[in-house]
Amino acid sequence: MKTENQIPHDSAVGHVTGEAIYIDDIPVNDQLLIGKVVYSRYAHAKIKSFDLSEAKKVNGVYAVLCYKDIPGHNQMGPVIKDESVLAENEVTFIGQAMFLIAAETEEQCREAEKLIKIEYEPLDAILTIEKAIEKNNLLGPPREMKRGDADSALKSSKHIISGELRTGAQEHWYLETQACLSVPGEGKEINVFSSSQHPSETQALVAEVLGIKKHEVVVEVKRMGGGFGGKETQANHVACWSALLCHATKRPVKIRLFRDDDMIMTGKRHRYLTKYEAGFDDDGLINAVKLEFNSDGGAATDLSFAIMERTMLHADNSYYIPNMSVKALVWKTNLPSNTAFRGFGGPQGMAAIETIIDKIGRALKKDPAEIRHKNFYGLNDRNITHYGQTVEHNRLYLIYDQIIKSSEYEKRRKEINDFNIKNEFFKKGIAVTPVKFGISFTTTFLNQAGALVNVYTDGTILVNHGGTEMGQGLNTKMQQIAAAEFGVSIDRVKVNATNTSKVPNTSATAASSGSDLNGMAVKNAIDIIKERISKELAQIWTQQPSNPPTLQQSILFKEDYIFDSDHPERKISFSDAMLQMNLRQVSLSAAGFYKTPTVGWDKIKGQGKPFFYYSFGMAVSEVMIDILTGQYTLLRTDILQDVGDSINSGIDMGQVEGGFVQGIGWCTTEEIKWDAKGNLMNHSPDTYKIPTVQDIPKDFRVKLMEGVPNPVGTIRRSKAIGEPPFMLALSVWLAIKDAISAVGNHKFEPEFSLPATNETILLSIEKLKGKFHSPTLYESTDSKSRRPNPSKGGESEVSSREGI
Amino acid sequence: MRSTISFILDGKIVDLDFKNSKQFSPTSTALNYLRSFPAHKGVKEGCAEGDCGACTVVLAELVDNKITFRAVDSCLIFLPMIHGKQLITVENLKTPEGILHPVQQSMVDLYGSQCGFCTPGIIMTMFAFYKNYDKPSREQIDDALTGNLCRCTGYRPIVEAAAKSCVHNCVDHFTNDESKIIKFLKSISKESIHIQTDNQKYFRPASLGEAISLKHQHPEAIIISGATDIALRVTKNHELLKEIIDLSGVEELKVITQTDSSIEIGAGVSLNDILLPIEKDFPALHEMLKIFGSHQIRNLATLGGNLGSASPIGDTLPILMAYNAGVVLESLNGRRVIPLNDYIIGYRKTVRKPDELITSIIIPKLTNGSIIKSYKVSKRKDLDISTLSACFRIDLDGSMVKSIILAYGGMAERTKRAFTAEQFLLGKQWERKIIEKAMTLIEKDFTPISDARGSAEFRLKAAQNLLLKFLIETKGTN
Repeated sequence: MKTENQIPHDSAVGHVTGEAIYIDDIPVNDQLLIGKVVYSRYAHAKIKSFDLSEAKKVNGVYAVLCYKDIPGHNQMGPVIKDESVLAENEVTFIGQAMFLIAAETEEQCREAEKLIKIEYEPLDAILTIEKAIEKNNLLGPPREMKRGDADSALKSSKHIISGELRTGAQEHWYLETQACLSVPGEGKEINVFSSSQHPSETQALVAEVLGIKKHEVVVEVKRMGGGFGGKETQANHVACWSALLCHATKRPVKIRLFRDDDMIMTGKRHRYLTKYEAGFDDDGLINAVKLEFNSDGGAATDLSFAIMERTMLHADNSYYIPNMSVKALVWKTNLPSNTAFRGFGGPQGMAAIETIIDKIGRALKKDPAEIRHKNFYGLNDRNITHYGQTVEHNRLYLIYDQIIKSSEYEKRRKEINDFNIKNEFFKKGIAVTPVKFGISFTTTFLNQAGALVNVYTDGTILVNHGGTEMGQGLNTKMQQIAAAEFGVSIDRVKVNATNTSKVPNTSATAASSGSDLNGMAVKNAIDIIKERISKELAQIWTQQPSNPPTLQQSILFKEDYIFDSDHPERKISFSDAMLQMNLRQVSLSAAGFYKTPTVGWDKIKGQGKPFFYYSFGMAVSEVMIDILTGQYTLLRTDILQDVGDSINSGIDMGQVEGGFVQGIGWCTTEEIKWDAKGNLMNHSPDTYKIPTVQDIPKDFRVKLMEGVPNPVGTIRRSKAIGEPPFMLALSVWLAIKDAISAVGNHKFEPEFSLPATNETILLSIEKLKGKFHSPTLYESTDSKSRRPNPSKGGESEVSSREGI
Repeated sequence: MRSTISFILDGKIVDLDFKNSKQFSPTSTALNYLRSFPAHKGVKEGCAEGDCGACTVVLAELVDNKITFRAVDSCLIFLPMIHGKQLITVENLKTPEGILHPVQQSMVDLYGSQCGFCTPGIIMTMFAFYKNYDKPSREQIDDALTGNLCRCTGYRPIVEAAAKSCVHNCVDHFTNDESKIIKFLKSISKESIHIQTDNQKYFRPASLGEAISLKHQHPEAIIISGATDIALRVTKNHELLKEIIDLSGVEELKVITQTDSSIEIGAGVSLNDILLPIEKDFPALHEMLKIFGSHQIRNLATLGGNLGSASPIGDTLPILMAYNAGVVLESLNGRRVIPLNDYIIGYRKTVRKPDELITSIIIPKLTNGSIIKSYKVSKRKDLDISTLSACFRIDLDGSMVKSIILAYGGMAERTKRAFTAEQFLLGKQWERKIIEKAMTLIEKDFTPISDARGSAEFRLKAAQNLLLKFLIETKGTN
């Protein structure tokens, strides 16, 4: 009997033996063709002409396709139809698909590609947010959310800070690049084996592109070698391409993007340029915040507006801001369309408000931790967000008190101050940052899920659900839920590959919602089957001469048996019962469904309750920087994360640690640059640096809160965990800033942006040094503190920070 | 001389004849070879450039009659390089009875895998580690795992799995098979291999003499040993390499000779095999090699290769320059030793003649009183190509600079010394005021470029600051 919390990942043995199958590993017959995408080498150009005739002649080549060969719609935008499958008259970014080749070998594909003749007429390209703003090249209408009157509140605030923050793009760097295998079926049927977070959408787009019906397309997802949002919409692309080639050749066609091509062709986390103003009092209590978010949407819409919406909804992070104005603009540029990435706009929103808090601390010569605590949402008042949702079951204070104590924050703050006084060439910094993350798709109808549970006559159970497994352990949790609900051992339950013919019309596995939604749908299906079984068993046991009757509601499923709790001798093993049910013509298969209750969100007004609940967490990070090279070392991180009642603590820990480390990458070494022509400069792991084992905190103390069931009715009272920990890495980023700031004795606001690469750090230090040698005191380039000039010359950092 | 290769895979000796192979050429990688079999799909391609480690396999070979196990990136290995070795993949780790290897079991128990795509590579790194370390330190574990990127877990459970499993004195079911494998390995002839296909010539000489005469006959041939750089021309640029001389079978090039005054390192010694012999006498080189590439890369890469490619960002070059190392070049016409200073003459250009081979590097030991330090500035501390690197050497007369070498990588089209700053410092006091002046002179010596790794401004600033760092560190050691 193994239904306990800590079972291993259901694919773990497959992973460690190499037996787990990914798209590129699926056995296919010798008819298999390899597909290749020929993409634009210009950021913006007219396609004057092209000639595919020579390419088609290459030995082993079965198809060379252009947009004219698309039988259905030449569209693959997920929401707004502004993304062509293959470029027609114009290309709008480097990496945009133009032609498709199918051949027996990769070499033949490459040979054919060389023979394609394309004549371009280069056009002016927009490659930065600034230029997009200058040209007023918006992707869609701006949005605004407001509470109170931020403008007049700013005017009446005692202190004001303002500034600009840049946060960078991030490449998903899933280990398995985008891949898809399409296999022709009978007639128009097609089977698509995809590495997609959203099989239903993949199915819809393949159908539209091929001009066939959805019931003729089956999409199956066994597992992904990582997704992180990068396969929420953009896995559709490679699926459409392979389906087109499959359709054209009537043979199985596999496309697996080469790493560099994947990095060049696919979208990233949106880079942002954020402008802010904040007003506050002497204690650091925020009175007003004005924000303007500008995101780089890339060449098409993709999910940019939903992502921006989440930015707007997380611009408060954990803080009550009485007067708030959030303006949001998504800009169109000649770069690949940026897309979902763990956090989905949340990180960019939080980076802005955390920067504001950090700056308030420096301006008032107070520890930013104190400013954070002071501005947290209240437990009973000051608890309504700028979009009108009440922050219920607020765990911020609980977590803060625990982590400040367990991390010995105050003691270490003093030690760091001492260290910094004694050391000229190394500086340390520390920061605590909170995360309050809203759980639910903000597009309300997406908060639904389906499941199909089959029980077989040998007592084994096959669970189908609409979610997809990308490593996060969703299938393991579904397996645990099914085993627990049926009261059987875990090895009776298998979770099937996600398949659109089993569970239709599903939402993406995204927004951290996989377990919440699908877990409930699986439970619903099981409840239906159990109801049927209980009814039948009640009848059987009641028919026996040994009265009294068995009540249906007294029947329990436990430890691989089903029994009458009032008459425990009436008992049957689970397997025997299933055989009986089959003989007695009881259906052992049921579809389950779930929709999240009590959420509702008026997008137009920007008011309502978009989130079912909030997940909370906090991190304390300490770093040391080498002020001569800008290299940093992450000395220690403490994390305390709220996951409600964890369904599987090993898997949840993995999400916390993994999300956090991915966040470290975004905050520090993962830098993306494009050259003046729009070419991605960091298109391989040679120049794009995700964290290695050496980059995790030297001392890493992660804890899940215990004994804190989710107060709202989620599956087994758990909480979503996929995205929230990502943003805890802002603690690392702000600890670095704190260390830089120590170079100027915390008297000056350092120039800072995200990621904080060694270059960013060193150049910021150099600028601070320049200021430090000049006599002026607190005078940030971008702040205008109205506080009486705090020029108490020589005030040391320690004295200003004592008494925290 | 033979034209086929032989190696052990799945417990059997496999012979591969490229002439009769439609599928494989001598520059096919071990990765692509393995993935062509349904039974070896566990070997994954993550990047095809040796950065992610998803394709890690283990090569076992006989060294002094004992089997050594080394993790390598199979995407960087041309098939003939595995001749005479055992190729072990993730599919081979379970016992014949199907019991998981200790490293596999710990990874399962401790949630060391999430999406699982990087996992087979990590398992193989851990397996090689298991065979080489018992009760390892955290530092050793981190070092071993640096060459395996994982995007899901945050690594903590993987580190724990390594620590938990590597406690059985390196014994496992491979230990039981050792005598059989040794017999197999010995049965494979070490004679030289000449492979000629329709469009490629691949030579794997068995002696230095043969290698030199091959180079004489084929002056245009590309020389490889570990192929960690050259392989990218195949895996990333899809070039057809027409003529290759592979030195990995030449035992004479894998020799290290120490004398009282110097060390001579064969051009074919892997960087990992250099680490221990240089630790005491060549600390600046040791420091750099410790963080050079990854474990998998260092198992293949050689000093000869680093000198042969003469990349402007080759991390060992500034160090060898500061040590006044000499490059030994050999051809049929004889042997000459070129000081590092005179060896590199331009962007990836050296004085090596087409018919010459780099056979060894002679590094003189420091004279008494010399201080030498190496520095690497890179975006990511480990497994990253330097934005800039440097090696400084100083001899002081009291507190006066008697001689100084300031060698930089990544600051120009080649490894270069900051002669203006050096000249200025000669005869001056070794103190901060002087150094600060010297720092400004770095601008006269270098006009660095901006690229994907860093801006010119950053390179220059960091290059200047490193001088100050050197001063602080030498004052500390003096």
